Amino acid sequence: MVGRPAEFGGEARGREARQRAVKGMTLIQTPGGPRSILVLALLALGAGCEADPARFRSNLMFARKQEETVGEKLSPRQLQDVADALAALFGTPDDPYVIPGGGLGLDALLDARRLKFAAGPVGRDQSAEAGGLYRQHCVHCHGVTGDGAGPTAAFLNPYPRDFRRGIFKFKSTPKGSRPTRQDLHRTLVEGIPGTAMPSFRLLPEGELEALIDYVIYLSMRGEVERALLEETADLDAEGGERLDTSPENLIEEKLASVVRRWQAADGQVTPVPPPPTLDPVAAAARGRELFFGSIANCVKCHGELQLGDGQVDDYDDWTKEFYDWAKAPDAAVRRAKVDELVALGGLSPRTIRPRNLRTGVYRGGRRPLDLYWRIHDGIDGTPMPGSLMKPEGAPLEAKGLTPEDIWSLVEYVRSLPYDALSRPHAPPAYGRDRM
Amino acid sequence: MGRFWSILFLAVPVLGVGCFVCAAMSRSWPLYNHWFPRDISEHGHVIDDLFTFILLLTGLIFVATSLTLVYFLWKYDARQNAEPVKYTHGSHVLEVVWSILPAATLLFIAIYQMDAWAAAKMRRPMLPGPDGRLETEDDIARPPLAAVTGRQFEWRIAYAGADGVVGTRDDIFTVNDLHVPLGEEIVLEILSEDVLHSLFLPNVRLKQDLVPGMRQYVWFRPLETGTYDIVCAELCGWGHYKMKGRLTVLPRDQFDRWLAQKWAEQELSTYTAERGE
Repeated sequence: MVGRPAEFGGEARGREARQRAVKGMTLIQTPGGPRSILVLALLALGAGCEADPARFRSNLMFARKQEETVGEKLSPRQLQDVADALAALFGTPDDPYVIPGGGLGLDALLDARRLKFAAGPVGRDQSAEAGGLYRQHCVHCHGVTGDGAGPTAAFLNPYPRDFRRGIFKFKSTPKGSRPTRQDLHRTLVEGIPGTAMPSFRLLPEGELEALIDYVIYLSMRGEVERALLEETADLDAEGGERLDTSPENLIEEKLASVVRRWQAADGQVTPVPPPPTLDPVAAAARGRELFFGSIANCVKCHGELQLGDGQVDDYDDWTKEFYDWAKAPDAAVRRAKVDELVALGGLSPRTIRPRNLRTGVYRGGRRPLDLYWRIHDGIDGTPMPGSLMKPEGAPLEAKGLTPEDIWSLVEYVRSLPYDALSRPHAPPAYGRDRM
Repeated sequence: MGRFWSILFLAVPVLGVGCFVCAAMSRSWPLYNHWFPRDISEHGHVIDDLFTFILLLTGLIFVATSLTLVYFLWKYDARQNAEPVKYTHGSHVLEVVWSILPAATLLFIAIYQMDAWAAAKMRRPMLPGPDGRLETEDDIARPPLAAVTGRQFEWRIAYAGADGVVGTRDDIFTVNDLHVPLGEEIVLEILSEDVLHSLFLPNVRLKQDLVPGMRQYVWFRPLETGTYDIVCAELCGWGHYKMKGRLTVLPRDQFDRWLAQKWAEQELSTYTAERGE
């Protein structure tokens, strides 16, 4: 079992600070009279301001998983080595940076000035430069570490995204690729309808760009942390082996491979051919056939009535990674495992629901373009697969879908919310309607 | 302390009135821009007049009661009065007077504001019916320009589109970004997806709670172009403060162009590496 990390000490220090403040008050109280009441009130206001600097949380769930995999516990020193290496590479929440590695070309992806703009406590510094955007807008759900486990996360369904795996759902690139900056920008501006992620359309462009940088930064940090935890778990700790913290390993291997995946995203965008000019009704009918057909087989999860009630007992990848080994036939054992995960900073696992296609709510965007990408590329981190495409010039009977097929599916999906079945009741006429 | 407390209590009406005077002279420090936001609507002045009337009425009573209180504090200060306290069973006449006067005032306000209420909440703008004339039996309610749905924590807006009906395939969707044409009666259908919200357009003096499961209509006629705020005026959860939107008033032709552009963006269906989205 891994130990609780040092950052949990914050509470005790806060209490001491408050006690100091209380002592200070009793000293000043003695003169008496109404003036001292005022002084007291001011003091009481000031006493709450002392706070510990924010810290990144270790990925204890993943560390625990490594322990399960290698069958050995990680020593505190191993965890500390990983934390030190991460701090050297990425800094702290108040002072983030990414070490400028030799020729990684990071500057195009992460701008130091923008990172500072997004990081740190909310407010302005002495030169009136605004800062702390991430903590102002994002942190209560996505957490200081970007682990999707901020204070409000447990009350949301679906849970907020954990950035630390580098997996993002709604993007223009295939499964397994990183999103482009434009994809992240779109999510920020449009929000994700049907989830708790709101739109940040009214933020100035510079603030949006800074937040995108910071999300990529948190994501890279999380990915490197995972790689380091995997590496350290494989070491023979008792035999005195320590994590290799040389720049060759940390920067040129671990960081570089993460950075390369992000840099590749722009070149991986799935091109979308213009839709064929088809009769919409015929296209929707063809889409319906494909929906129930054996190749696209959408019906398996989205259900015969497209209500998202096909397969409802699956999990998303973020949950699956940990829930798989927390599964046990005995309910009591399973509960204990889940409690253990929650104690390590996780959230109680929930199954993932396939989308109900009849509500007209499209999380990744409602443009035909977005729906094409969703069907063609699948949704990363979820059981929604990408489409098996027919190779160009393949014979008619070859297995797979053509771009026309995908456009037919898009048309069918877009027609569903306006289907009679989706609106079984005529909207009631209120007295006020007639006035 | 002597008469210290009566002086302290005198500060209440003085500061209270001072605050309002400062705010009303909204061009001056320290309460710059603390009076009403700019009214750009046709009916907004009715609401403002009601507000001012009630403010003056309550202000007068506030000052009068405060001064009476100060007077009594001053006059009957313990150090200045050696006589023992006298007790009284009160005055029936006074009791009746100060019960009837406020009741009558409240009744007056209730009747006086009725027309403003009806205009804002009941008299929905109409379109002429088949007979081609307004204010006849067959008038039809003006259909909403858009449906505004509040959800934690944003405003989702669906424009009726070409067919003029919200809820069909040609609806145009935006978030937090409401554009309306200048000088026309704007009717909005307002809904809530989750909890209580309140749609507040300060510059057109419009505020209406949104109740989940309830379809309501609000209307206004904007008379100035520009960009104004949309805010949520009902505490709806931890993100209530971030539930902001933007109201943009445009001349009709620009509005139509904007709507057509939104529609084109929404129907975007190709991507090539050279052209981008």
